[in-house]
Amino acid sequence: MAQAEIPYQEAIPLHDPHTWITKYWFSQDHKVIAVQYGITAIAVGLVALVLSWIMRTQIGFPGLFDWIDPELYYQSVTMHGMIMVIYLLTAFLLGSFGNYLVPLMLGARDMVFPFVNMISYHVYLASVIILMLGYVPGMEGPTGAGWTLYPPQAILTGTPGADWGILTMLASLAVFIVAFTMGGLNYITTILQARTRGMTMMRMPLSIWGIGMATVLGLLAFPALFVSAIMMTLDNVLGTSFFMPAINSLEIGEDYAGGSPLLFQHLFWFFGHPEVYIVALPAFGVVSDLISVHARKNIFGYRLMVWAIVAIGGLSFIVWAHHMYVAGMHPYFGFFFATTTLIIAVPTAIKVYNWTLTLWRANIRFTVPMLFAIAFVITFVVGGLTGLFLGNVIVDVPLSDTYFVVAHFHMVMGVAPILVIFGGIYHWYPKITGRMLNDTIGLWHFWITFIGTYAIYFPMHFLAIPRRYYQYDIGESTILTPSMEILNVSITLTAYVVGIAQFLFIYNLIVSYRKGREAGDNPWEANSLEWCTPQTPPVHGNWGERLPTVHRWAYDYSVPGQERDFIPQDVPREAQA
Amino acid sequence: MAVAIVLLIIVIVSVLLSFFSPWQFTEIASNWGHIDNTVILTFWICGIVFALIGVFMVYTTWKFRYRKEARADYEPENPRLEWWLTVVTTIGVVAMLAPGLIVWNDFVNAPDDAQEVEVLSRQWQWAFRFPGEDGKFGTVHVDNITLDNPFGMNKSDPNGDDDVLITDNTVHLAVDQPYKIWLRSNDVLHDFWVPEFRAKMDSVPGMVTYFWFTPTRIQEKPYEVLCAELCGQNHFQMRGWVKVDTREDFDGWLAGQQTWAQMQAGVVPKSYSPLARRGREFAESTGCLVCHSLDGKAMIGPTWLDLWGTERTLADGSTVMVDEAYVVESIRDPNSQVVEGFAPAMLAYDESTVSDADIEALVALLKEEVSADESGATAPEAPAEAPTP
Amino acid sequence: MAQAAQAETEVTGLATIAKDWSSDVTTFKGVPWGKAMMWIFLLSDTFIFSIFLTAYMTVRTTTAEAWPNASEVFSLTMFGVPVPLLLIAIMTFDLITSSGTMALAVNYGYRRDKRRAVRFMYLTAFFGAVFVGMQAFEWTKLISEGVRPFENPWGAPQFGSCFFMITGFHGLHVSAGVAYLIIIARRISKGRYDNTNFEIVEITGLYWHFVDLVWVFIFAFFYLW
Repeated sequence: MAQAEIPYQEAIPLHDPHTWITKYWFSQDHKVIAVQYGITAIAVGLVALVLSWIMRTQIGFPGLFDWIDPELYYQSVTMHGMIMVIYLLTAFLLGSFGNYLVPLMLGARDMVFPFVNMISYHVYLASVIILMLGYVPGMEGPTGAGWTLYPPQAILTGTPGADWGILTMLASLAVFIVAFTMGGLNYITTILQARTRGMTMMRMPLSIWGIGMATVLGLLAFPALFVSAIMMTLDNVLGTSFFMPAINSLEIGEDYAGGSPLLFQHLFWFFGHPEVYIVALPAFGVVSDLISVHARKNIFGYRLMVWAIVAIGGLSFIVWAHHMYVAGMHPYFGFFFATTTLIIAVPTAIKVYNWTLTLWRANIRFTVPMLFAIAFVITFVVGGLTGLFLGNVIVDVPLSDTYFVVAHFHMVMGVAPILVIFGGIYHWYPKITGRMLNDTIGLWHFWITFIGTYAIYFPMHFLAIPRRYYQYDIGESTILTPSMEILNVSITLTAYVVGIAQFLFIYNLIVSYRKGREAGDNPWEANSLEWCTPQTPPVHGNWGERLPTVHRWAYDYSVPGQERDFIPQDVPREAQA
Repeated sequence: MAVAIVLLIIVIVSVLLSFFSPWQFTEIASNWGHIDNTVILTFWICGIVFALIGVFMVYTTWKFRYRKEARADYEPENPRLEWWLTVVTTIGVVAMLAPGLIVWNDFVNAPDDAQEVEVLSRQWQWAFRFPGEDGKFGTVHVDNITLDNPFGMNKSDPNGDDDVLITDNTVHLAVDQPYKIWLRSNDVLHDFWVPEFRAKMDSVPGMVTYFWFTPTRIQEKPYEVLCAELCGQNHFQMRGWVKVDTREDFDGWLAGQQTWAQMQAGVVPKSYSPLARRGREFAESTGCLVCHSLDGKAMIGPTWLDLWGTERTLADGSTVMVDEAYVVESIRDPNSQVVEGFAPAMLAYDESTVSDADIEALVALLKEEVSADESGATAPEAPAEAPTP
Repeated sequence: MAQAAQAETEVTGLATIAKDWSSDVTTFKGVPWGKAMMWIFLLSDTFIFSIFLTAYMTVRTTTAEAWPNASEVFSLTMFGVPVPLLLIAIMTFDLITSSGTMALAVNYGYRRDKRRAVRFMYLTAFFGAVFVGMQAFEWTKLISEGVRPFENPWGAPQFGSCFFMITGFHGLHVSAGVAYLIIIARRISKGRYDNTNFEIVEITGLYWHFVDLVWVFIFAFFYLW
């Protein structure tokens, strides 16, 4: 045979760490790296939470706190958006879930290149630190250009943070992309080349499909952001004119000529739209597993779910300009992009149907992770359906840049993936720590978060006022009606409550680590491989001497004629019954 | 159980809110009723899907909640059902997309009889240009822009002489007249949006974009123009007005506006002392006059006309005298003393942008910016220490 | 679904792809992890360069000023006669030659001829270094003629911006490749890969060929257009 035999992973020696530093800080164990990613992402997410309070305070009670000036407001809007999308959602779903689940669910020892994996986390940490350098006292503060960072305004004086702020932002993004690439290469190579015996692609849990496809999207989409970050930095620092046409800003003739602001928008959204699915696909995958496990029923239509993930991933590269219907691009693009955008609704709808059909004739255990999963489905349905408004080019015309858009994307890629992250944490915390999270606190956290976010974002769809306004009531303006003011106040108050509830969750994470109920190896009676480790929490190398062998898909729940209602993946076929 | 009840409540409240919420679209005032129709069509299709899925989930979460003795079905897939769902979804999507694209086709092709109007956006004001009697716009270039020529009109282009230029954020339009709006920007992205007209489009520096509409409704209060694309710190203050008139009223209004030729003829350079002239030049080149007028009009910031030596009421109710200390404070830390009725919108300028000498020149300018009727009486003090310009 | 691994049957043509993708353990049979990872990385890197070139083409069409004539700008005066694209031709030739020596190194690697493999890797690195040197010379020449990222004497300022950005980014890739080659060659001669098939040489070679291929595109789009 011409092909060389690749040795199974058992043959590769494992170097156990010996010092505290190599065990907990510069660890090469994917599980430790996952936790590091998770803690960092949650920490930076709390910053974003406080920023959202600042902006909601201004919108709910304009003029009440004069320290919230337009500069602070726009900086908070920008940083909140960027942190949430990149440094929390992307980092958590791929960096944390990806790192933790990929080797465990595939029956691998670790990622294929643990050293690169370790570097990946520390580069990510560096990107977070660089991002926060925007707040260094004495400098002008972070950028206030909106998370889309559209030039020319992002680097002109009329925008807060047009020098230091935007440079730290762009540098941080570039560094983040380096970190992501190192992690992403690892995930893909592991999924393709390091599965255990018997683990075919079509036996992988949907979490892995979602994470894997999202990583492919990331590796192909982040280059666009990387390159545009480089070009915008050059425009700002060296005075090149990639994105800058001839401009006269605030009566000052700028020394630019001939660039194209639309080029940036195209590049940004060529990254930005797949980014939506970079966040959504892992959430889709994880939630499929949560629903299946806790409904005690196989996921309905597994094969279609897989193909839907692949189709959504592929289509996500040809829909980007639906963010630019009214951006001044050639109007005929609208026909093409509206069509592709609505096509993507079909596989997405199929996923929703299959989640709900999984519940049909199930035996649903309403555990905290399951509650979050159900909340995800309903939230995602609302966010997905409002996406059909915005994706249809003419319907988007009156709605673009209004609160309808804010409500839509918060529902679909803000709250929905966050709910999955919570659900996932409640689900896998017992595996990570060996202890259960406290259910009572968990239920409080769930109800406040779910109902609160729904109460924040559902009514927001009806606010037909422009987004990114520091203040509405100016001069003789009548756009903000009294009933809208009441709504704004109620949204703000709800946002405070929901925000505070997140501290309950953090309290739960900390306390349960020491005081939580012992979990055992498989508290949810789940099938996928991570629950079959010989120890809980799994030790370095995960599996002991020999890797597990997989004999079935991950969804053999309630198989007729079986005594138990679940059959783990490593149970041989002949051993059942 | 609780889950099913809460889901049911959520579905019911969501549906009710959709029909009875106090927050609806503004009453339409243009030809784009079809845009509203596509929104309504999408709303119905999506609403029905939402209600169906919601009710289905309520039922399943109630009916199939955990029972110890119960066992879930084992049904990996059901190709028939999956095909049906796919086909039905596709039909629903086509039902929304097809009419949408037809209306979009309308939207991107302006009728031949449309009047052309240019909307010029700049931080953070609206200006408008009508092509005048010859029906042709004069050419423009960014390099030509000065405070007296915000459009960057090309002085050697005769087509521009009869262009009517409107720079005070308010434009009039004739009812039932289709307008093709050309959008231009001097600096950053903006977006001309009148909610009642439904249509909107970004203006992009370096290129010209367009959209069209026909105003159909005359209303006492002018329609408010909003900027719908983040354009910097004072984005939210970038408002304007569109007054829809009868054809007669509109023609009368347009005839009363200045053409570019008249504007050029009417510009009389004001005489300043050397130091105040330096202040004026500095104010122009630094951008002060974007927000502060010299003619008494309140813009984003207070006017400078007749400002010096007056008593001002601040936002917190206290008063302050406009003197040198106040001017310095207002430049170095502008948001510490905001005049009543204005938002804390000004950027702070440090020594590197506005030097102490610059402030001195600005103070000289302020002292000389007094209304014409008094200017004969209060001659500016002789600036003995003025640097040679 | 939960089908057991199918009985081994001979498959040919497209069916082999389906078989590989539906198999367990590895999708690409016989492909070491490092090689798979390098391929995926190069795919991602392809997007980076494609986007650079797309951006370049876009600004070339949006800029209002004329684009400088490449054959005049990139000419060397030899014996009093300006020869268009002379330096670039040499640089391209040099880089393509280095691809040849790299291929030889890979070949000797798989034959377990360590000495020759290492020698050809050093030779490749040498050609790479020469390329970077010539690029430095070209940059110096253009800078002395007044080309800056934000302006140049002949027309559209985007010419300089794109030129420095894209060739600079490519030059960084070449420099990194030279360092990579030298590091790997040293490790090979120290015996670090003696227990392997020396696929590491091929992995290094993949990167190097990629960098050469990118240069061909830059050459075509920047110098010939």
